[in-house]
Amino acid sequence: MTRKGTRPAALLALAAVLYAVAAWTVAPGFYDGFGPPQAYNFTCPPPQAGANNKPASGHLDIKVIGGVSDANSAFTEDGQIVIGFLPGAFVVDGKTTIAVDITPLATCPKPSGIRFVTNIYQVTASAPLNPDKPANLVLRYSNLEPDPSKVYQASDPNGAWAPLTSQPGQPYTIETRTTTFGYFGAGYPSSSPPTGSIQVGGGQILPIVVAALIVMVVLAGLPLAVMRRRR
Amino acid sequence: MISAVRFRPALRAGLVAIAVLLVEWSRALVAQQPGLTVAALVLGGCALTAMAVGWPAERLGLGTSRFGLRILGGLALGVVLLLPAAVRPGAAPLLPAGLAIAAVVVSIGEELAFRGVLYAALEESGGAPLAIGGTTLVWTVAHALSHPPEFLGAAAAAGLLLALWRWACRDLVAPVIGHVIADLAL
Repeated sequence: MTRKGTRPAALLALAAVLYAVAAWTVAPGFYDGFGPPQAYNFTCPPPQAGANNKPASGHLDIKVIGGVSDANSAFTEDGQIVIGFLPGAFVVDGKTTIAVDITPLATCPKPSGIRFVTNIYQVTASAPLNPDKPANLVLRYSNLEPDPSKVYQASDPNGAWAPLTSQPGQPYTIETRTTTFGYFGAGYPSSSPPTGSIQVGGGQILPIVVAALIVMVVLAGLPLAVMRRRR
Repeated sequence: MISAVRFRPALRAGLVAIAVLLVEWSRALVAQQPGLTVAALVLGGCALTAMAVGWPAERLGLGTSRFGLRILGGLALGVVLLLPAAVRPGAAPLLPAGLAIAAVVVSIGEELAFRGVLYAALEESGGAPLAIGGTTLVWTVAHALSHPPEFLGAAAAAGLLLALWRWACRDLVAPVIGHVIADLAL
């Protein structure tokens, strides 16, 4: 089955070292097929998040042309929240420009019955939304957390949170529509956590898996080596 | 046309490379659409697996001789592929449960297509150096749409390692096992 000589073994060892060096330069290394999601910037990072940048804010000025606000999207610089507006989405009341601001909340509310997996963002605008033209809001979430089932909204982060009709968007995003501004975050009811993720890659489990594999290789290799020598 | 492809190894290797790239890129593009990720991965993996149909198992590096060593090699390759993530402090990604089966299908499909069919076609056309270099190059290019540029170095190094194993041990079982382990964990 194998080629004889030390050259193939030496080349394999060299390739393994080359891979280790190349994989060390990017986390997590060999990550196949599913596209590494951009690291999430947490306000309150979970222990397994490692290095973390603070979440970014966003600002957008929407032009009002002929008494109708233009279509546009506001988003934070890290793209963790995007809110899209249709033409005429705002009640302009004579304004020529509508300012939209997105600010990540500096704290992490833990309301009873809800487990947030994203940061909380405050979205404000200099004009109210037209109830007939809801804005489309997309929240990105981290692969280090379970998938959220709802986007929640509140007028006060320490007050009551209401679930909005939500649906999964592109991978690691959740979408909803809203006709009012306020505070937004994605999560799930703490009474019914999502069936969740296989947490093989995070925390302490991956080192354990690798250690187990090494033990298996060593333990299986010994009898195979003995059998080979007897032949 | 069919006879030309059959008797001209270079032409056949080129067509195999194009077909593998088209499947991989289509899979990567469709997987980015909402709700289609798992379906794209599974169908893409099946399409890659289907490319091995008609090739003799031994030409692909498949077989049961020294099966224990092949499995052992697969575990060892899995260790090497996962080691940088395992010893790195901080976070490693989690594999969502719904993607586990897709990860297995894609891993098997990619190994059969790259280190199996493409390797065999390139080896027939230009020998082992072309097979190792060619599969590594096509593998890296195939991941260009699904990975940010900074990840392509690690992808290329993984492809080279798996191709060298295929050459050194004339074996595809271990790369399949190692690839499946790595994809299931990350």
